[in-house]
Order: sequence, then structure tokens, then C-alpha cells
Amino acid sequence: MFGYPLVNVLGACLIITSMMVVLARTGRAAACLYSLQSLVLVGVLASLGAVTGSGELYTWSATAFATKVVLVPAILLFTLKKIGGEVPVDLPPKLNPMKSVALVAVEVFVCFVAVSGIDLPTAAAVKPTLAVSLAHFFIGLTCIVIQRSIFKQIFGYCLMENGSHVTLALLAPQAPELVEIGVATDAIFAVVILAVLVARMARYARTLNADDLCELKG
Amino acid sequence: MTIIIAILQAVLLVAAAPLASGVARKIRAKMHSRTGTSVLQDYYDLAKLWRRCEVREGGSGLVSRIAPPVFLGSFALIAAGLPLAMQACPIPLLGDIITVLYLMALPRFIFSLAAIDSAGSYTAIGGIRELLVGVLVEPSLMLVLFVMAVAAGSTNLGIMTQAVGTLTAYPFVAVVVAGVACAMACYIEMGKLPFDLAEAEQEIQEGPLAAYSGPSLAMLKLGVSVKQLVVASLFVAVFLPFGAAQAPDAGAVLIGFLLYAVKVTAVLLVAAVIENSVMRVRYKYLGRYTWFVVGIASLSLVFLVIGI
Repeated sequence: MFGYPLVNVLGACLIITSMMVVLARTGRAAACLYSLQSLVLVGVLASLGAVTGSGELYTWSATAFATKVVLVPAILLFTLKKIGGEVPVDLPPKLNPMKSVALVAVEVFVCFVAVSGIDLPTAAAVKPTLAVSLAHFFIGLTCIVIQRSIFKQIFGYCLMENGSHVTLALLAPQAPELVEIGVATDAIFAVVILAVLVARMARYARTLNADDLCELKG
Repeated sequence: MTIIIAILQAVLLVAAAPLASGVARKIRAKMHSRTGTSVLQDYYDLAKLWRRCEVREGGSGLVSRIAPPVFLGSFALIAAGLPLAMQACPIPLLGDIITVLYLMALPRFIFSLAAIDSAGSYTAIGGIRELLVGVLVEPSLMLVLFVMAVAAGSTNLGIMTQAVGTLTAYPFVAVVVAGVACAMACYIEMGKLPFDLAEAEQEIQEGPLAAYSGPSLAMLKLGVSVKQLVVASLFVAVFLPFGAAQAPDAGAVLIGFLLYAVKVTAVLLVAAVIENSVMRVRYKYLGRYTWFVVGIASLSLVFLVIGI
């Protein structure tokens, strides 16, 4: 149960939690579930560190905990608090949430087929998790496409970002901390900018519905 | 020895089914702040119906006549084959998932045929609805059992039970996700709210029941309760086999059976509470919920293919 199988099980938990983020009805629930997903991501990084004996990965997991489990959800919840009373945040998604589960399953399968062609010595034992990390790009994209609320679309970006984080950890476990700082700060600043944009749009246009926000000129 | 266990299983499940549905009715009454009928009310109903004479609709044929015994018999047969007290099927021939799935499809098929056979127009609509539930739920159940078959390396329920019980079913996450999907699919199969109301025979849902009376209606009513118990037992047998006997030893089998009774009671209680906290959904929107089950089941298949 320990070693690479544990990494793969945690990878599966990543898929389940990201699906829950996509399906969450309220923005608040989505933020809390995103925090949970990041906690699983921290688990993946730490267990990979234990398996590969890479000290860097422990540092990665610590910084990921600070930025993704605490800071990013806190920023999102703060934004929600700021705009919550002014405009309706929880808009229904475009695709029936029940169908999006089937869509996610298809995406994971397609990614697995794509990954099975890759023959890298570093990723031989964690191919399932590599497929999961690749699938996160598509799950994030799905989230952006199917969500009406621009606030929830931020979570799509965050999921894609988590996917890239796992891919990096799997393929380059010995990469120096500097690379990871790039990924982590990238996430923080992008989320801050997106949150500010969402808050300003909510104040200016009085809506978070992406369909209504088609006249953002000048 | 195993043959005796199989017969005992079938007899006990059929005998306990009205009690299970009586308890479910009592819980519903309590949650509605009513006193409710006795938990033995279903036995009284069945005894009363059994004494009544049988009235047949004019023009109904053989199918209508054989539907009640086939309905009850199929579920009693499934009950005999399930690995309930042991981590192996008492009769391996009956414990194959393909047999079980067909035995579950047969009553539905006969039930729908009987609905068309009857002269009433309500019964036909009820039959169509019964089929609709089947079409929407059975693929998920098949998919889940297929995942379990690959994970355990056999289509026999006993071997699946053993694999889950000894935690050797290989892609661990796939099995857990399949368990969640199976719980949902079984809940819908049990004919509970928001999908169906098993005792609403005078309404459109259980339409074909409106055409029956006397012993036939008693058999069908009993069959509906046995179906609920059998479907719950299928879930318990495959995904919660912990505590079941490893070998056909009298003491271990007894302990296994008592534990099974506790587990199935817990499952039925949870189902009863869920049933009473939701309202009935229009049949038009049934697909929305079943899509979710299909999604989870296909996710478990994907996890199985990936190997996690």
C-alpha cells in the first residue's frame, strides 16, 4: 500500500476531489473543496518525496500547503465575501452536472491512452498519476467551459495549475526549489489578479454571468 | 451443507421481507409524526389477500397468470445464490453475475409483458415506466459488476466477495468508486423515493399491480418487498462482506449470518431515511439522476483500466 501504489491512490483521490470542485453548487463549497484537493496534492508531493528520496519534494509540499491549501482558498473566499451581497454568484452551469461526471471519466481515459505511449524511466511506475495530472488540464478546461459564473471559472484555472504541479513533480522530482517557487507564485498572483478582475466586473457590470459579459469594451 | 444454507437463505429472506418493508413504513410514519401501522402490517395484508378469491381481467392471458410466481420466484432464486453468510456462493451456479443480472431482468420483462397483456390502459403506462427505470439503471449495475469481475478475476459473486473481504481486489480506488456507484444503483433498483414508491400499487407507477387481486397480488407485493431485500443484500454481499464465514463451518456461518443481518438492517435504515427526506421526481427528470450513477460507474471503469 505504500510507495508508488500510495501515490497512485492519491492521484485517484485528486480526480475525485477535482470532480467535486467542478460539481460544487456554491462558490463557498467549491473553495473549500479546492482546499481539500490541494491537501491531497500535498499528500502526493510528500509521498513522492518519500518514494524517490528527494528532499526538494518535501519543501515543495510545504510551500504547496501554504499557498494552495491556505492562501488561494482564503483569497477566493475573501473575494466571495466582498461580492457576495451585490450579485448572484452561484449560477447554474451550462452542462448538466451529472453529465459532466461522465465527461470527466472520458477525459481521464483519453489521457491514459495518451500517456501509455510515453516511455520515460522516471514515470514508469506512476503512469496512472501522470494520466491524472494530464487529465487535470482537461478537467480545468471543462470547468471553464461549462461554468457560467466567472468566479467559478477561476477554479478551472486552479485545477489546470494543480495538474501542472503534479506533472512537474512526477517527471522532475529532483528539480530545485526555484522551479517550484515559480509554479507556486504563479498560482498566487494569477488568482489574485483574477479575483480582482471578478470583483471589479461584479461591481461594474452587476453580473458574474459570462454570457452577459460580452461587451467589455474600453 | 451449502445446499441447506442456500435454501435457508431463500426462505429467510422471503419470510423477513414483509418485516423489512413494515419497518420502513413505520419509520416513514414516525418521520411524518404519525403513529403508523404495526411493523407486522405487511404480513396481515398478505394473509388477507391470500384468503381472497382471484379476479381476472377479461382478455388477459397466460403471461398475466405466470407473472406473479415468476416475479417472486426469480428473486427467491437470487436470494438462494447470494454469498450472504459465507465468503462463497452456497450454489456457485446461481452466484454468477450474468445469471443474477438476467434473473433481475426476467421479472421486469415479465412484468412489462403483463402490463401490455392486461386490458387496462393505466397498467401499460405503469409497465413503460417500470421498463424506463430498468433501462436507466441496469447499465450502471452491469458496469459496476463488470468492474468487480475484472478486479476480482471472476464473474462469480463468491470470489468477488472473497477478494473484497480479504482486501485483495486489485485496483483499490476502482473498487471503492464501484461500491459508491453500486450503492446508488441498488437504491434506485429498490424502487424507493425519489424514483418510485414500492407500495403505490393503486397509482400509475406500479401500474400492472392494479390488474391483480387475491393471491396473485399477495405474491407480487411479497415479490416487491423481497426485491428490496435482495438488492440490498447484493450490495452488502459484494461490497461489505467483512465478517462473513471463510469456510462452511456451522458456527462461523451463524456469526456471518448475524453480521449480515446487522449490515443489511443498517443499509435498509439508511435507505429508509433517505427515502423520507426527498420527494418523488417526475419521470421526465429521472435521467438526470441516473446519468450521475452512469458517470460514477464509468469513472470506476476508467480507474480500473488505469490501474488505481
